[in-house]
Amino acid sequence: MTDIDPRLQEALDGERDSATLPPELRDAFARLTVATRLLAQPPAISVADRVMAEVRRSKRASVAHRWAHWLAQPRAVTVRLRPVWTLALAAGLAAVVLLPGGGQPVAPGAQEGVAQFVGHFPGARSVEVVGSFNDWQRGALPLRDEDHDGIWHGAVVLPTGQHEYMFVVDGERWVADPLAGRYVDDGFGAGRQNALLIVRP
Amino acid sequence: MSDALSDPQVVAQVLGGDREAFGIIIRRYEPGLLRFATRMLGSHDAAADAVAESLVRAYRHLAQCRDPVRLKSWLYRITGNRCRSHIGRRHTSDISLEDAPPVADPADTWAVLERSEQLVLVERALAALPEEKREAFVLKHVEGMSYEEMSAVTGARIPTLKMRVHRAREALLEALKELV
Repeated sequence: MTDIDPRLQEALDGERDSATLPPELRDAFARLTVATRLLAQPPAISVADRVMAEVRRSKRASVAHRWAHWLAQPRAVTVRLRPVWTLALAAGLAAVVLLPGGGQPVAPGAQEGVAQFVGHFPGARSVEVVGSFNDWQRGALPLRDEDHDGIWHGAVVLPTGQHEYMFVVDGERWVADPLAGRYVDDGFGAGRQNALLIVRP
Repeated sequence: MSDALSDPQVVAQVLGGDREAFGIIIRRYEPGLLRFATRMLGSHDAAADAVAESLVRAYRHLAQCRDPVRLKSWLYRITGNRCRSHIGRRHTSDISLEDAPPVADPADTWAVLERSEQLVLVERALAALPEEKREAFVLKHVEGMSYEEMSAVTGARIPTLKMRVHRAREALLEALKELV
């Protein structure tokens, strides 16, 4: 393989008019142009029917369905605590959830737990959590900041196991929870990562 | 349902529960994705599998498309990853062209036959390129993407992509001396 003339590279990059190339380079330019035209023919195949059949078969459990399922099941809970300044709040929440009805603990053994999300996003208009547990659907888990101090929080019941998630700030900025501690590649290349949450029974 | 809707509008429609709207996305991007996958894998069957898997994956994770304005790049990225996965599963180190060469139809003109032979020559030359250079060349010259778009698809930096395209051109010119 030999280096090709930079003028030819420029013409192929559209940075130079090919008519200005010397004759010996025009031949090379023509060869690559013919090659790309041949390759540009779209194949006479289609997968549209196959894909749409799969799309129509796909079912997504609704948020309401998941909440109904949660309400119908006995459970133990896990409270996920992250920033130190939420300890008191989370402990209070855990006390309420773990000890209903005068301090009797909920029977262990259920396959769900409570995950609490807290993030510091001063000035944000909205913050929500999307993740593998809600099919990355927007709008299913908005966080709240009642006192407008930039600390957004919310909680959700999740099945035990690993869940990937992200914060979506102001409806457009996706942020991996900086306090998650664990991350996984998002599977779409480009080296981006989702935060990882582990819910234990 | 209108194909005049923008990509973000179609994405919002699908996420709002209108599954049939995903057909707009398929109509819009299927030809290019199939062409890209065919050039990457050298086989229509493998390309069809890769693109079908990619589109189903895209539907299931559509809410993860963080910037629907760049839906096209996102779909090409998923398809590129799926092609790499197909290539990785092969036992041989290089891609193979279609199992059987095209059969000449008596009605074909000389020009059509010549074009068909030229295509085989070009496909072989492309198949001989290393995977990253092949991908860069196809995205740039066959799919007509800018280097910025290519960077969004591959995750590679623009100078790296330019170098891959340049090297691919050099290798193809060497291999296509008989062309034209």
